[in-house]
Amino acid sequence: MTEAKEQKQPIYLTMRMKPPWVFIDELRRFVESFCACACPECDREAQLALTVHELMQNAVPHSHDEEVELTLEVEPAVDRVAVSISNACTDDEFNALAARVQRMNREPDALQHYLRAMEEAPAHTRGGLGLARIRYEAQLDLSVSRSWGRLTVHAFGKLHVQPLRLPGGIR
Amino acid sequence: MTIPSQPASRGAPIQVAEEKYSAGVVTDGRGTRVQFRGTISTPNPAVVLNPFVDAVHDELVKAAAKEVLVDFRELEFCNSSGFKAFIHWIQKIQELPEAQRYGLRFLSNPARKWQRTSLLALSCYGVSSVTIQ
Repeated sequence: MTEAKEQKQPIYLTMRMKPPWVFIDELRRFVESFCACACPECDREAQLALTVHELMQNAVPHSHDEEVELTLEVEPAVDRVAVSISNACTDDEFNALAARVQRMNREPDALQHYLRAMEEAPAHTRGGLGLARIRYEAQLDLSVSRSWGRLTVHAFGKLHVQPLRLPGGIR
Repeated sequence: MTIPSQPASRGAPIQVAEEKYSAGVVTDGRGTRVQFRGTISTPNPAVVLNPFVDAVHDELVKAAAKEVLVDFRELEFCNSSGFKAFIHWIQKIQELPEAQRYGLRFLSNPARKWQRTSLLALSCYGVSSVTIQ
């Protein structure tokens, strides 16, 4: 196989773990470095590392002490990247998250939704900003699915994206 | 702009230091700035950072500051819960009467690529309060 062909091959990573909170930093660093190797010309590694970090921080406290699974798919040939993180969940947890993702996706403008989340998320308690941050800053779409008592959050989008710019230019 | 590193009214320095991150008001050859270092990734960092931001804010208002440098150059990462401290800061500035408002000028690290998009979003939230350097 030529080097050029090798660079177009899909690259998958799956990890199953029961990580304590402190390991999320290590995971973010690993994903950043993995993605920089998987697609060096895409400049997506920081955004994908941020996505994994935020989704893991949502999944770990809600995992009911069961395993959390991370899947990363980098597919240069079809210009696609996807991050999926799954954890055990109750009906109520799944329904609450699904409703939140549905509300978020009703706003087509990711920045407007993010700004509203900044306004509305309580300042002194955790939560309420991570998904909006992924959608805008990492330029990924989000969905949620459920199978066998586990919920999976899917973050997916193009591998090559334009850098985000301020409306009206740099201040 | 001058922020005392130890406000007389509280008797405690304006700084916080956790295992993975710290924040403080520093003055050196490069001037006075509010510096954040390390990795802000604990479950609820706003519990630590919001009181810090409140203390810095009070001193800036007392000093009638027009702008403060916020140094992210040694900040490896900040999770969304930690990010709320900066949203809280902007909200505090926006609550001030217009004449008392000051600006946040962020010093970023180009090698930490998340900073660019996060600060971009923050500058959209605090349109008249945030500039990025």
